Amino acid sequence: MDVIEVAGLSKYYGSLRAVENVSFHVTEGSILGILGPNGAGKTTTLECMIGLKKRTAGTIKVLGIDPETNRHKLFNDVGVQLQETVYQGGAKVFELCQLFSAMYAKPLDYQILLERFDLASKRKSAVASLSGGQRQKLAIILALIGDPRLIVLDELTTGLDPGARREIWTYIKELRREGRTIVMTTHYMEEASVLCDTICVFDKGQIAAYGTVDEVIAQAGIDLVITFESKNELLPLLTKLPSISHVQQDGRVVRIQTRTEQTLTDLILLLREAEISYEKMRITHPELEEAFLKLVDDREKGAVS
Amino acid sequence: MFRTLTILELKLQLRNFFTVFFALAFPVLMLAVFGTMYGNEPSAVTGDKGAVDLMLPAYACMIVAVTSIMSLPLTVATYREQKILKRFMATPIQPLQILLSQVLVNCITTLGGIALLLIAARLLYNVQFLGSILPSLTAFLLVMASMFSLGLVIAGVTPNAKAASSLAYIIYFPMLFLSGATIPLYIMPKAMVTMANFLPLTHGVKLLSGVWLGGRLFDYGLELAVLGAVMLVCLGAALRFFRWE
Repeated sequence: MDVIEVAGLSKYYGSLRAVENVSFHVTEGSILGILGPNGAGKTTTLECMIGLKKRTAGTIKVLGIDPETNRHKLFNDVGVQLQETVYQGGAKVFELCQLFSAMYAKPLDYQILLERFDLASKRKSAVASLSGGQRQKLAIILALIGDPRLIVLDELTTGLDPGARREIWTYIKELRREGRTIVMTTHYMEEASVLCDTICVFDKGQIAAYGTVDEVIAQAGIDLVITFESKNELLPLLTKLPSISHVQQDGRVVRIQTRTEQTLTDLILLLREAEISYEKMRITHPELEEAFLKLVDDREKGAVS
Repeated sequence: MFRTLTILELKLQLRNFFTVFFALAFPVLMLAVFGTMYGNEPSAVTGDKGAVDLMLPAYACMIVAVTSIMSLPLTVATYREQKILKRFMATPIQPLQILLSQVLVNCITTLGGIALLLIAARLLYNVQFLGSILPSLTAFLLVMASMFSLGLVIAGVTPNAKAASSLAYIIYFPMLFLSGATIPLYIMPKAMVTMANFLPLTHGVKLLSGVWLGGRLFDYGLELAVLGAVMLVCLGAALRFFRWE
């Protein structure tokens, strides 16, 4: 079942086209990651999705509700963490938890949430005195307190150290296990690869790629790279291989670029038939980061030409 | 949830040194200093009233100015700048409730400051209340309503805390010194009095002082009209121009 349906969403600020004709949907219990360079329209899309911004065109349904006309009803079932939000600095952790508990009909017990997110010892600390990681954990707790079906996280881990970031990942996975749907933006490709079921790559207000991590990587059309070492001169032999895009040999090191994994089988059979010995055979698949950079870069070139 | 929000915001306000000092402590200090200097005996300058009698309504107006022009806009602008208002908009709470709770919290602080001031005046100088309750309350409410409306306009249009405090200072300090809230108008040169008459708080001080010292509400038609007009215009402007982010 789709929890979010966005169709033909556009948002203009005057002549600036922040988001143009964007469509995607999110199935219940999955994590959608929205990636893209700064200014690509990620936050604008999120904020239109939860009714904090009025859209210029398109339709949005979140949990069956149009966020623009029925925002306050929606927020009974949607918890959010907004980019750069600071909570009232003088407030103590438990005071904010009490405040947010009072906003919802059936809040989760914040004491249990503080335990679960390892913040119980900070119960009486002022929000301003928390570390970056603790503050983001508090942001998750406050998003979670209303027991929402959908959680929206806008750059939750930006600025955190690697340890704190990984800690947050385990919490996000837990939220998905509980059956909650999550939409998140991030600048970290590793984070998106680890957490997201579906990825939407934004660029200049449009969707540059959309699908599972593997599908998005495939959409970037980056070659697989096969390398191995051999003392023989192999170039004449290897150019016979089908569906390879490039082959080179520097001394002992041979490097083959190809579109398909089948090339590996073909290669090994060919070497065996020719009775050529080889070592350090290795195949490298493109990572999301490479795909992301290529997708954004390709569109850049497309725009110029 | 409105109650929880208001209680939390009240606690936060009381943790704010600036507000506590200027709304609660400073007026009492002023009273003690100037009360000691002038005493509360009727004199040639002050007429048949004592100096402390004249100070009280003026200081009450000063407290209203601190909470309405300084504290309220500063808090709201800070919340806007730090995206706290926006965060609240992404909850089931109505945005208007956030604003109302801020106004309410500052009204409570105002009343607290005035209560402290009156208690101090009673204990230190045995000040008697010379007016009647209902007109004084009416005058006070009108002063509050007009000043808080003005505060809401500042709160509504300033993009960040810095702009809010600049604007608040520009409006607050002339009112503090020229309105008669701290320095009595009768010792000022004529040109300054003319200038002072353009400040809404001047009319607030005149009205509240007059009624506080036994005058009748309707002897102050001009003051009532000015404060009423300020309230209506500012409320309209606040409703029209208030920005949530």
